Amino acid sequence: MTRQLAFLFLLAAAACTEQVTAPGSCPNFCPTDSIAIRDTIFATIIDRDSSFRGYVPSYGAEAMPVADLPGIVDSRAFFVLSKAATRVTVKTGDTTTTPIIPDSVRFRLSIVRRDTLATNLRIRLYHVPITADSTSTFASLDAAFNGPVVDSMNVSALLGSPAFIDTVTADSLERRFYGDTTYRDGGGHILVVRDSGRILDLYFHLDTLQAPVVEADSGQLGFGVRVAADSLASIALSTNEAGRPPFLQRFFHHTIPDTVSTQPDSVVFGNQTQAPIFDSFVFDPPSPALDSNLAVGGVPAARALLRVAMPAFLHDSIDVVRATLILVPVSAVQGAPIDSFRILARPVLADLGAKSPLSTNSTLYGSRVIHIGASDTVNIELTNLVRAWSLDTTMATAFILGQVPEATSYTEIRFYSSRAPAFRPGLHVTYVKRFRFGVP
Amino acid sequence: MNTARVGVLAAVLLAAQPPNRLSAQDSQFGIRGLGTPGKLESVRARTTGGAFAPFDAFSPLTDAILADVRRMSASFTSGTSWRSVDASGVQSTLRGTRFPAMVIAGPVTRRIVVGGGFSTYLDRSFGVVIHDTIDLRGVQQPITDAITSDGAIADLRIAVAARLHRRLALGLGLHRITGSTRVNATRSFADTANYRTTTARDEVAYGATGGSASLLFDVTSDLRVAGWFRTDTRLRADVGGHTVAENDLPLTYGTGLQWRAGAQASVAGSLTWRNWGSVQSIANAHDTFNWSVGAEIGSPASPFRFGLRGGQLPFGVGKTPTEVGYSAGLGRQFSGGRGRLDIGLERLQRSGTGLNERVWTFLLGLTVRP
Repeated sequence: MTRQLAFLFLLAAAACTEQVTAPGSCPNFCPTDSIAIRDTIFATIIDRDSSFRGYVPSYGAEAMPVADLPGIVDSRAFFVLSKAATRVTVKTGDTTTTPIIPDSVRFRLSIVRRDTLATNLRIRLYHVPITADSTSTFASLDAAFNGPVVDSMNVSALLGSPAFIDTVTADSLERRFYGDTTYRDGGGHILVVRDSGRILDLYFHLDTLQAPVVEADSGQLGFGVRVAADSLASIALSTNEAGRPPFLQRFFHHTIPDTVSTQPDSVVFGNQTQAPIFDSFVFDPPSPALDSNLAVGGVPAARALLRVAMPAFLHDSIDVVRATLILVPVSAVQGAPIDSFRILARPVLADLGAKSPLSTNSTLYGSRVIHIGASDTVNIELTNLVRAWSLDTTMATAFILGQVPEATSYTEIRFYSSRAPAFRPGLHVTYVKRFRFGVP
Repeated sequence: MNTARVGVLAAVLLAAQPPNRLSAQDSQFGIRGLGTPGKLESVRARTTGGAFAPFDAFSPLTDAILADVRRMSASFTSGTSWRSVDASGVQSTLRGTRFPAMVIAGPVTRRIVVGGGFSTYLDRSFGVVIHDTIDLRGVQQPITDAITSDGAIADLRIAVAARLHRRLALGLGLHRITGSTRVNATRSFADTANYRTTTARDEVAYGATGGSASLLFDVTSDLRVAGWFRTDTRLRADVGGHTVAENDLPLTYGTGLQWRAGAQASVAGSLTWRNWGSVQSIANAHDTFNWSVGAEIGSPASPFRFGLRGGQLPFGVGKTPTEVGYSAGLGRQFSGGRGRLDIGLERLQRSGTGLNERVWTFLLGLTVRP
């Protein structure tokens, strides 16, 4: 009998699995209440909005835009390289030095943004004064950028030429290693396509006249870069901040005097590198002054602070399923298509105006790509952020709009602010009302 | 460990379960009402179609029958159901295991017996999934709603039965109706990139009190008549400490007849009325009338039982939904009559406007007299 009992209890226990959910046959056999959804555009929820400029300057940007778009912008990059030794010590512990004799120079620029549809794209190097700095303007450097061209590389022609296969590193089928492709021309220029085409490394072969060692300048050199093309002449060069700055490698030799060495009159070869101590860009026309609209982008970078006056019912009796920020541009952004950029909405940790600290919780961010020439209304999804505000009443209900990355382009977008009643920013919220549990 | 101890242990463990786990058999008909009324029957009574409930001390239907308990005894009931639902052509199969009743009783004097326990008053375990397409921001958006409720409203009873006369017993009961349901409403969107799933969870607590009275009269030594009456206060539903609804509960009254056709056969029948139509807040609530007939054949140590029931369900659109059931089962005493095991099988068919349900239930009951 005990065994039979145990069997029955086991049988009952084994059957203790639940499946009570079935397709609903509504409304007759569903709960009386249903999940009610509402969709509302809060036209006046955003107020006390402002713009501020000066967050990231041109010399702190991750890229230097270089463009020649007639009627739109002329942007030029420039940089000053570090000092170079003009003499070397030939014996350790001996103060005697000997002059170096420059042989040649290999100079690298990295293009990190370009329009692949650009034709006859040419990169031109100019000398700029080593005194160029953050106070330099488009006008103050104009003479240098209209001086003699140090060197010029036709990127389109190089990319159109047969690729160079290094048989040492390529396999028997001439498949290239590391995904890199190398091109070269008769002028000593080398172009290496890296990172699946996203980066072009340009190598210039300069002589001692193009890259002289001026002892009075301690070997410092300043270069400027302009671009030209049949159309779509717009690129961006990598900078110190991006970790791939312009880079100069100087090859030289010197002769060891017979008084200081066991190898008298022998010739020694060497090289040294120079990286920028300063890099920046200037463009014309400059970013316009701030006005009553909301400016985002430009140089120095401008950001817009938008404050949201959350109604009480959005805090406690609903669940937000979608929230979209609606912004109306004042006008379309001008530039080349490759100049399209992303703007990012980031919540502030505390509302301290222009100096509000930004949240690092990326799950709350919203972003949108701004396309050149588009004047459509800009919608930015802020669902996670508004949900967070709805649940946590202690959060500051404000966010900042900024360009990503900042100050890497002359492009700037302006939206109508709350001062323009017909076009002011709005918040489109889709929410679910609280379910009435307990009511049959 | 002998069988009796196992039984006592099982009864104690089951008694320790929270009441909202002790639900009865669910039905889709209860979703749009207060729930599915529980069957206040032991396995013995249920396998006779419910006909023996007024005459079975371990069915919590009436109190007067407790007067027949001669020793401290306890009984519990469990049931595992497989339910197929046909809602306007949409088929689904559901299952669940429930512990719908427990009774413990014992005499305090020669004429007075006190008993108590719990049973399911209303079952509120269900889940519905709804697929639909709605217009959101000018775009047709497929959505899925899932609304679930897990729990039940239990009836905690303390009762006293007194034998007023050799042929007459009176029973009185005090009921505390209590329980809770964990409820969940979720809406998910096909467009997960733009829309977040919304989920609302809560717990609804229910409460009411009630009283019952019953009489048991032995017309002859072989013929018994029972009558009972019950009334309850309004059922209050609280969410987060706030009352969100108050609903009337029905008056219940009924009568039953049992005839012992010799030492190894009994036949019984019962009728029950409940005025569920008095629940004003529910549009499609109906008064119900239920009947049952059943028989128990064989020796008291190992009887065979069968029964038939019919009647109505309180909630449903249009005409009152109906229920028809067939059941059969066996009982077996062990340990010299200190324990009894009952098993049974029940088949129910429920029909209403737009919905049909068919249910198989395996019943298992254990009664111990330590």
